[in-house]
Amino acid sequence: MNNLVVLPIITPLIAGIILAFFPKKLQWVRPLSKLFILFNLILAGALVWVVFTNGTTILETGDWKAPYGIVLVADKLAALLVFTTNIVAAACSFYAPHSLTDRKETYYFYSFFFFLISGVSGAFLTGDLFNMFVFYEVLLMASYALIVLGGDKVQLRESIKYVFINLFSSMLFVTAVAFVYGTVGTVNMAQIAQRVHEVDQQGILTTIGILMFFVFAVKAALFPLYYWMPNSYAVPNPVISALFGALLTKVGIYSIIRVFSLIFVHNVELTHDMFIWIAGLSMIFGIIGALSTNNIKLIIAYNIIPAIGFILMGIGVFNQFALSGSIYYLIHDMFIKSSLFLLAGTVVYAAGTSDLRKVSGLIHYYPVLGWLLFLSGFILAGIPPFSGFIGKLLLLKGALASREIAIVIIGLLASLLILYSIMKIFINSFWGEKDESIQPISLKGRIAPIVILLALSVFLGIGAEFIYPFIESVSADLLQPEIYIDAILKE
Amino acid sequence: MEFIISILAGVLFSTAIYNLLQKQLLRVIIGTVLLSHGAHLFILTMGKLKRGAPPILTEEGGPYTDPLPQALILTSIVISFGITSLLLVLAYRTANENDTDNMEQLRGNENE
Amino acid sequence: MLYVVLIPLLLACLIPFISKMKHNIHTGIPVLLIPSAIFIYFIRFVGTNFEPMRQSYNWIPSLGINFDFYLDGLSLLFALLISGIGALVVLYSIYYLDSQERLGHFYVYLLMFMSAMLGIVLSDNIFVLYTFWELTSISSFLLIGYWHFNEKSRYGALKSLLITVLGGLSMFGGFILLSVMTGTSSIQIMIQNAEVIMNSPYMPLALGFILLGAFTKSAQFPFHIWLPDAMEAPTPVSAYLHSATMVKAGLFLVARFSPIFAGFEWFFIIVSIAGIVTLCWGSYMAVHQTDLKAILAFSTISQLGMIMAMLGFGTKLAIFAAVFHILCHATFKGSLFMVAGIVDHEAGTRDIRNLGGLMTLMPMSAALALFGTFSMAGIPLPFLNGFYSKELFFKSTLKLPEGTHVITTFLVEVIPYLAVFGSIFTFVYSLYFLFGTFGGQKQLDKLPKRPHEAPVGMLIAPLVLVLGVIIIGLFPNAFNGAFIAHAAESVAGTEVIKEITFWHGFGSTAFQMSLVVVAAGILLVSTRRKWSMIYSFVPGRASANHIYDAAIAQLDNGSRHINTFIMTGSLRRYMAIILGTVFLITFGFMLATGGFTIDFSNLADVTITEIAVVLVIIAAAVGTIFTKHNLGAILVAGVVGYGVSLLFVIYRAPDLALTQLVVETISVALFLLCFYHLPKLRNEKPQVRTRWINGTVSIGFGALMTLIGISAHSSDWFSSISDYFLETSHSLGGGDNVVNVILVDMRGLDTLFEITVLGIAALAIYSLIKLKNNRGAK
Repeated sequence: MNNLVVLPIITPLIAGIILAFFPKKLQWVRPLSKLFILFNLILAGALVWVVFTNGTTILETGDWKAPYGIVLVADKLAALLVFTTNIVAAACSFYAPHSLTDRKETYYFYSFFFFLISGVSGAFLTGDLFNMFVFYEVLLMASYALIVLGGDKVQLRESIKYVFINLFSSMLFVTAVAFVYGTVGTVNMAQIAQRVHEVDQQGILTTIGILMFFVFAVKAALFPLYYWMPNSYAVPNPVISALFGALLTKVGIYSIIRVFSLIFVHNVELTHDMFIWIAGLSMIFGIIGALSTNNIKLIIAYNIIPAIGFILMGIGVFNQFALSGSIYYLIHDMFIKSSLFLLAGTVVYAAGTSDLRKVSGLIHYYPVLGWLLFLSGFILAGIPPFSGFIGKLLLLKGALASREIAIVIIGLLASLLILYSIMKIFINSFWGEKDESIQPISLKGRIAPIVILLALSVFLGIGAEFIYPFIESVSADLLQPEIYIDAILKE
Repeated sequence: MEFIISILAGVLFSTAIYNLLQKQLLRVIIGTVLLSHGAHLFILTMGKLKRGAPPILTEEGGPYTDPLPQALILTSIVISFGITSLLLVLAYRTANENDTDNMEQLRGNENE
Repeated sequence: MLYVVLIPLLLACLIPFISKMKHNIHTGIPVLLIPSAIFIYFIRFVGTNFEPMRQSYNWIPSLGINFDFYLDGLSLLFALLISGIGALVVLYSIYYLDSQERLGHFYVYLLMFMSAMLGIVLSDNIFVLYTFWELTSISSFLLIGYWHFNEKSRYGALKSLLITVLGGLSMFGGFILLSVMTGTSSIQIMIQNAEVIMNSPYMPLALGFILLGAFTKSAQFPFHIWLPDAMEAPTPVSAYLHSATMVKAGLFLVARFSPIFAGFEWFFIIVSIAGIVTLCWGSYMAVHQTDLKAILAFSTISQLGMIMAMLGFGTKLAIFAAVFHILCHATFKGSLFMVAGIVDHEAGTRDIRNLGGLMTLMPMSAALALFGTFSMAGIPLPFLNGFYSKELFFKSTLKLPEGTHVITTFLVEVIPYLAVFGSIFTFVYSLYFLFGTFGGQKQLDKLPKRPHEAPVGMLIAPLVLVLGVIIIGLFPNAFNGAFIAHAAESVAGTEVIKEITFWHGFGSTAFQMSLVVVAAGILLVSTRRKWSMIYSFVPGRASANHIYDAAIAQLDNGSRHINTFIMTGSLRRYMAIILGTVFLITFGFMLATGGFTIDFSNLADVTITEIAVVLVIIAAAVGTIFTKHNLGAILVAGVVGYGVSLLFVIYRAPDLALTQLVVETISVALFLLCFYHLPKLRNEKPQVRTRWINGTVSIGFGALMTLIGISAHSSDWFSSISDYFLETSHSLGGGDNVVNVILVDMRGLDTLFEITVLGIAALAIYSLIKLKNNRGAK
């Protein structure tokens, strides 16, 4: 029992509420929001420290003992993800004032922002399936609010599709939770896992599990359920895209990791093998999407899909290496996707167009921006020694140890094409003759958050020796669901 | 009776989905409302129907109906309501802004 | 050794500062110190009593990624080439590149490359090797794109990047396979455990992966296409990366791994075929080029093929010859590239059709080119190193390994002939290069500049290389014992000291082959114009370049076609696909796992009232589909909601019923409010086919949910946790309405965030309306 577990959820909630009272006073709202997010970052850091020293830490809310009340569970995976979330969010909060118009900021941007963080952290930390649904709704509602912020024509058009499809999957989620309750009589995840194990995951449970997989797969934007994602992620302000790209789809894939490493692990040949297929198809179709467009922001948005494919591949292979790879890749992708969205936003801002064919020679005016984009392309493609490489190495090693050759070949080809899709931006928009007509504009304040995120990405690769042992222990825990179950049900 | 309610919920899902696949914005929203009804009925059946008095404790004691699904439904109703309201305003704004309430005309393409 | 490898990279970070400082020194001058120092560092190891040495530095030990450096004969040879030629190239570039250029960038890339290349040849750790391998691709990309305002530079840069990174990733896959098989990431330990690898069923796959990496990097047919386009890079880069060092990384890789795979017959077959085909194709195509650098590029391709073939042969002699030729090629090809650069620099063009007769104007360059080309052509003179390696090559083709496979037998027969064929064309393009540039008539009117001899500084570097050609030619055995033998030994695994002799007598087959080459070569050179129309038949318009261009176009256009087909923007199609997928797969799983169960015991009874309510709801739900008017549809949907609240009453859920009633009423009001102002659009009937699809999908999905619902209900294995709530609601929760106690206490967190959802919705709606109104006012 440790109240620290709930603080990363409650602090942003309170922050969001406080900031909603004086939205127009930007001179207060801006510094306060930075203060709050940094404070929350410290809390999340403390949580990571506690969890990695004392093991899984839980909080039984309202002092109702598990499995009856709602229990919050900070295991290593959840704690790490909450921490990463807060880093990304902090970077975004520093970028936001430079990118959003004052009007958008005054219309509760920061409140929605904090509610989103609260929902995301809650979804990571909860140990209760229905409560997870509630947190999903919190983060989705905040995301609906953010995606329409400003209300352009195109934005509205894309966001309504986004809302519909997510609403559908939410309803499916609630129904799936009901089915779980109908079969095993509980909504506590640890107890569900225990009971599913007792009846050896009979057919109906596997079916419900797959239904639940699809609920999460829609949120995670996996093939063939990703339709809603690329356009709706490309239309809002870059800060919002960065938050979405880094956090929302990751909550979906986190839930898949959680549910299919804890609960539905007794029919792996069937369920997890299908994941490998879906992973491969996600890589292929995601990259097709990324290559199909000349819109810089869309290229980045499509690149989310193969990344999620890589993470799912590790879950499908389901051994120590592959799972470590998934988690490494997950954290890596949170950093790199957010920085790429911010970069793309900055490039579009600097170029005045999102069409990469319409601008060239930017490197003469924005060398730093150009080289950051160049670097991020290699990080994204998993070229050593950056963060993507470590994740990819572990994933491929795990897959090859389980003799999954086809997915490895797809993965390697996808990496090449991911690199190509980013280099297309670099070669077309940054290289080329100096265009004398361009009036360079100041990118003040936009570069620093990107540099910090990329630096973390680079560190995640070069400094893997400091990070990997943690990740390894995360995946070791995931492969032993008893650790999670015992932490909650054994008193 | 549980099976009949399951079938009813299934029918609600079917009609909801048929509406979701319509062109007109209004129908799509109606679809989402029906969907939430279907989901709620599924939750209700999972707790077994009519196994006793309403879950309000009395002197005589048991048996009572399963209270948990009711609590879950209540939460879900409120959330659905919130989303539906937002959706309505959003739909209204979208339709006005784009001058159509036909989803097929809200396709747009990436190259603009 | 770690510092030696990383120093260029670290110092590269200082270059931008040096180059920004305002002074009159060319940035290349301080840079020159770096490769020179490294060369001196490595030259100390040369000697007959050299022993391989290793040094390790931890990096990521928990993943087996460490800086394990291993300096043996092979890596020493390469390290000397990298630093030695590197120094000469930097020296040359000082005169070649104007100080108006962005020199900072140039030298940063060049030093980055130097680090990377040293890293490749010194790493014993496969993952570190791969890291440096990709770094060479990146620096090569940047150097080719150095003049990125040229369309062709960008094209060439991207091409080289894609092809070499493709190979790199493939090699990476092979490396992971090897490390999974052997449990180590050290090449030397793998060589010791070659047995394990050879017995693994995945060995051919690993070999294929690694060879793809080697072939792309070393520009083997059909992956050679990136090398001619890489000639867009400044000439010092072509001399350095694209002839002397980087393109030899693939050869290095094959040499490094050949102790593991050499016993495998397919290794011989694949590598020798790739090599010999590349040799023939490259030399054949070189004659067809008009750009001096393109001739040299194809010549490099062909020479790389020759070395690759010898590594494939795998005999002691062949390996020795391969290693020897790596050195020889670096000397004469490096000097020729520099001469081509001089001609370009002084005459303003590299087009051989406009050049000619420069011998009198540029005598020094002509002399240098003479030695270089004669050595390359393998003309039998005792002071040209190229002749020795060519003879060794011929000799090695005559003693090929024996094998059982029919392809092996075939190869053993044809390879000597192909070797002669390739060498004849080598002879032809060598002389074509020399006489086309320096011989024949002057055509000064076609030149943009009036050519004159290059400054002395520019001539130093090629001169040193030509001296290398001659010294090695005069005293081949001096180099042999000192380090060639060590290098060959680390590839072949056993001692391979061979005495190199000039004269074998007329009776030696190799010498006869050389004579055939010279005779046929002279004949072909003198009649070149008469037979050059052959190129319109072979290759004609067929070219691997077309395949590459088509592939890239296909990547862009094909993906656009597929994607516009998928991403229609239509919510209806999206939903249909999502629903269809979820339905099919979930249903499939239900069937596959026997998930459906039905149990009629333990059910509640059925009453008329309930049936009546159910029927009303069904009727209303179906009614939403068939009602034509918006208002009607809204009201019918309201009926469903009220019906559901009636069911809640029947099923003993008073709180739910109340809430549902209130919510439903407000919702209907909201619906009416919002749609009052909308354009009066009728619900158009979709096409019959669409309706059928919609109908099938929705009925199927509803049925699936019902089936799962029934099964879930029938699988009654456990008691519900609700019993606990009923027991403790009063004592612990202090309330008798259990649903309320659950909401506010036991699951209070749900309720807190449920309210949050409502709050966010309220704020969102507010900002949605306000942001628009204000803008409208503007």
